[in-house]
Amino acid sequence: MTRSDGPGREAGPPAIRLDGLRKTFGSGENAVTAVDDVSFEIERGTVVGLLGPNGAGKTTTIKSLLGLIVPDAGTVEIDGIDVHSQPTRAYDRVGAMLEGARNVYWRLTVRENLAFFAGLGGDSPSTVSGRHDALLEQFGLADRAETVVNELSRGMKQKVSLASTLARDVDVVFMDEPTLGLDVETSLELRAEIRRLADRDDVTILVSSHDMDVIEDICDHVLVLENGRVVADDEVDALLDVFRSQEYRIEVDDVLPAAARTRLETAVDAEWTAKRDDRRRTTISFTATGSDEFYDVIDVLREHDLPLRDVESVTPDLEDVFLELTAEDGQRSTAESPADSSSPARPSRDGEPARDGGAEPARDAGEELERGDRR
Amino acid sequence: MSDGTRRDSGVPVSIPDSSIFPLLWVVARKQVVLLLRYPLSTLSRFLTMLIFFLVVFFGGQAVAGPAITDTLDGIIVGFFLFTLAITAYSGLAWNVTREAQWGTLERLFMSPYGFGTVMGVKAAINVCLSFLWGAALLFAMMGISGRWLTFDVVTVVPLAALTVASVIGIGFCFAGLALVYKRLENLFQLVQFGFVPLIAAPVGGLEWLKLFPVAHGSYLTRVAMSDGVRLWELPASELAILTVVSVAYLLAGYYCFVLASRKARREGLLGHY
Repeated sequence: MTRSDGPGREAGPPAIRLDGLRKTFGSGENAVTAVDDVSFEIERGTVVGLLGPNGAGKTTTIKSLLGLIVPDAGTVEIDGIDVHSQPTRAYDRVGAMLEGARNVYWRLTVRENLAFFAGLGGDSPSTVSGRHDALLEQFGLADRAETVVNELSRGMKQKVSLASTLARDVDVVFMDEPTLGLDVETSLELRAEIRRLADRDDVTILVSSHDMDVIEDICDHVLVLENGRVVADDEVDALLDVFRSQEYRIEVDDVLPAAARTRLETAVDAEWTAKRDDRRRTTISFTATGSDEFYDVIDVLREHDLPLRDVESVTPDLEDVFLELTAEDGQRSTAESPADSSSPARPSRDGEPARDGGAEPARDAGEELERGDRR
Repeated sequence: MSDGTRRDSGVPVSIPDSSIFPLLWVVARKQVVLLLRYPLSTLSRFLTMLIFFLVVFFGGQAVAGPAITDTLDGIIVGFFLFTLAITAYSGLAWNVTREAQWGTLERLFMSPYGFGTVMGVKAAINVCLSFLWGAALLFAMMGISGRWLTFDVVTVVPLAALTVASVIGIGFCFAGLALVYKRLENLFQLVQFGFVPLIAAPVGGLEWLKLFPVAHGSYLTRVAMSDGVRLWELPASELAILTVVSVAYLLAGYYCFVLASRKARREGLLGHY
């Protein structure tokens, strides 16, 4: 089970290489193009998240990678082996957990499932029994090894499914919604296991999930699909950096004087809005790319003796980035165009309407809205 | 299955077995484990066949009196072959549907052995196990009826195996249909009942019936068991026809299965249920 980056490790072909994948289902008026010219490479030992809204082409991409769907065009290689022309050689290196808790035999015990799937992959169960012991221990299933899977909780079943995927030595693992339906604790455990597989055992893992926390937590790299095309292909941190624009909301216990407004317009190098409500409070919202803008605003408020009531900062996460990338209003910014990130057209995480440029919030009765936009 | 040299991290890895034995072992073990773990299900299948035989035997005696003994050999051999045929057929056709329901079908497809080999091994193991059931049922039927037939293993096993080979071909064909069209349970049941006339077909009188699956093998098995004819005492031409016809059905069925799995992969239907 244990594998590490030994000194003899050589650079080889990418663990996964997809070139020009295209697949259309149906024909004529009913034709639906599921993926259209999708290409990417995944390096060994990395965890890559495959994201996309429903119908974006994630499942078709994964199933094409596994040879379960025959594409109309394109090549798929795993460890340099063409999956569609040499499937059995490719399958020797691949494990897949496609349907969560469902894809093991519920009438067999945990250990019997591991033995079955090892044998199905060509490994004699007797030669991998030590590996299975280690997996059972690793996934906290050792004391349930002889239990029939049907009697386990959903979380445990999911773990059995992952353990059975790893029941033999594989280089590449595909996981479709590995944490779907799990409680928080089990989900966290499973994430840790997935991360450990890549870090300690050098396994390459492609994870498809709608859970952005999972992707942000365990993935090194993210591929975002939309309408069958790759709209982002970058490291998680790089994607977050591209869209990094800290948003602040400062509430003061007074009306913003005209002089202060003028000072904000001239002195603050940030987009900002000020909202005044019936209780003579003003909320100043602005987006900043660094700390300077924040201090500039605070300085202006101090100059005019405006008492602070509340200060809130909102850091964009992968979900914001994802929503930004897959926005369907034609104002999409992509990872390749970071300059656009200052004027995002994205809904906020709390479900507010899409904001444009100056981050215009909804206007309620009794509210006045002012806006300054220096960019 | 792997070459054992691709790991370059210098750490302990499993030593893959390049033979088919791991697959044979785990498929056989799974079948046996399930038989033993769920004895009621196993026993009920056996008892159903036995009760069915009892109804035919005692019902026949009540209606036809001693004349039933004229056809008793055929009934006993027929039940024996029907047990084998049903197990071999359902091991493929029904199994594909169930594996799709369980979400394990795609995992079978992704075996380094290849999908066809995996399904073939499953069918072979099923047939081997069904020989045990068939033999148990056979001796139970002979004991109840008091009519003891010749059971020369060297003769009966090859003949029954060739008979079942054509059923496996049909099983592959319908397993392929299940890959594409999924819910075909009613059709599967109809096909199962179709084995009854094939097993009872009067091949001795109508030569062309030898070209049908099961029919010729059933006839020769009946002759061997009723008259005590050994395998090498049967006409070589008859054995040749049986072999050719059975293998042809097996290959044709397998080819249908391959075509269907290609279609399922082209249309993204594999594993859907």
